[in-house]
Amino acid sequence: MNSPLINVCDVSKTFILHNIDGRKVTALQNVSFSIAPGEHVALAGSSGAGKSTLLRLLYRTYTLTSGEINFRLSSGEWVDIGKLTDPEVVALRGREIGYVSQFLRAQPRRSVIDLVTRAGVSRGMSRNDAREHAAISLRRLNIAESLWEIHTSVLSGGEKQRVNIAAGLISPPRLLLLDEPVSALDPENRERAIDLIAQLSEAGVAVLAVFHDLDAIARLATRIVVMSHGHLIDDGPAQSILPQLQPTDVHS
Amino acid sequence: MTKSPIITPQAAIRVRGLSKFFGPIDEGAIARTGPKFGTARDPLSGSIVAAWDVNFDVAAGEALGIVGESGSGKSTVLRCIAGDQPSSAGSVHLMCHDEGRTNVLDLSPAARRKLRIDQLSVVYQDPAEGLSLGVTAGGNIADPLTAAGWRNFEAIRVRARDLLDRTEVPLDRMDDIVRNFSGGMRQRVQIARALANNPPIVLLDEPTTGLDASIASGVLDLIRGLLEELDLAVVVVSHDFAVIEMLTQRCIVMQHGRVVEDALTDQLLEDPQHPYSQKLVTAARS
Repeated sequence: MNSPLINVCDVSKTFILHNIDGRKVTALQNVSFSIAPGEHVALAGSSGAGKSTLLRLLYRTYTLTSGEINFRLSSGEWVDIGKLTDPEVVALRGREIGYVSQFLRAQPRRSVIDLVTRAGVSRGMSRNDAREHAAISLRRLNIAESLWEIHTSVLSGGEKQRVNIAAGLISPPRLLLLDEPVSALDPENRERAIDLIAQLSEAGVAVLAVFHDLDAIARLATRIVVMSHGHLIDDGPAQSILPQLQPTDVHS
Repeated sequence: MTKSPIITPQAAIRVRGLSKFFGPIDEGAIARTGPKFGTARDPLSGSIVAAWDVNFDVAAGEALGIVGESGSGKSTVLRCIAGDQPSSAGSVHLMCHDEGRTNVLDLSPAARRKLRIDQLSVVYQDPAEGLSLGVTAGGNIADPLTAAGWRNFEAIRVRARDLLDRTEVPLDRMDDIVRNFSGGMRQRVQIARALANNPPIVLLDEPTTGLDASIASGVLDLIRGLLEELDLAVVVVSHDFAVIEMLTQRCIVMQHGRVVEDALTDQLLEDPQHPYSQKLVTAARS
């Protein structure tokens, strides 16, 4: 196996709710695992198990309570994501670590093609290359060309989600965090999105993903990490873990 | 300190220890004010610590938000940087001015005003502060251009037209006086004027507060587009998290004149750390 791209070591996360009598809510406890380039790790576990918490910690949307998240930069040097300054995290996001959420985030009046092209440019592509790749992805995701020049706010939920995938996957970063990226798609469009996500692994991108159905996990995951009540309870090759999973193990 | 392996862009503006007092202040007054005491006013002297020890860097192409309730000191910080108010302590260095070697807070008032021509612009909540309402839109833009040495009338007209076009002000209104413009339109003219001489640094003080929601979102779109295209270093003061989320990557949170948290914007919204930040975010989200 390749040497890891990211090592999650003994990570815990506790929220302190100052305005509810300082109540403490522990969302993750002593979680350790790693991901190598080209691996697609699916997070399984029932609702509230801590899957999304883990994704957000890796992106530093959540602050770390304890433990280390060591990430190998493209320069080969290692950094602990939990200890980076905010400007360093800003610099790390995009080219090194990406996050594709369930929803297309609020965007100003941007056309579909412009939004995806800009995502490519922000990760170092030339404008022409980015536009070309954007067109390829949008076609593969079945976004009709008649929609390319219109403003994303008028798209349907499923169309928005596919545009979000196109933008998230263009010139992909080295680690991609996927939080239910295909949850709103009909079966045909879901297949297309899954095909595009599968290509990431061939391209050597390390993926950590949360899906709402077992089928997507079966199609994409090379490894499965199972979470329960904030603990990591199993971690192994997809083919050995998959048979043990229940449909309730993937509800977010 | 060891050098970070992650290269971050150089600061276009660097603020250190910026403080503003009203009335005489001693160390005791600092110790008796702030979030812990729930006030910026020293109970003994009656003096006000409007801002104390504010620090941040902003790089070109980046926007930093300053959030907090009214009276938290956020606009005071902006006005001290802009030179609208004298500051009491601290330093502000602009990379575009003397390559960042000069603390611009030490400059004479005249020299500070000169910075406002082409190095640092401000867009105020109230367009009346940033514009001459009795002057035409074109005239308002001509003002900073002539201050920067533009003399050719036709060139000034062309530049003004270009800026108004860019900020989506109908060109047939160019020769109307600004007082006859709607609030949203006045704000667009103010933005056009602020950008007239391509300043690398722009300060926005509640740029969409007071506008109708639909008008505000149009102005916000415009600002967001300009930020990306012009590679500006921007500081945005707002109590509106929608504005902060749309425009900024990083934020500082102020309460009673103090910075209580600095954070990535998504982190502030999803995992605020300080009790006051939690209260603000919860209030904004409910």
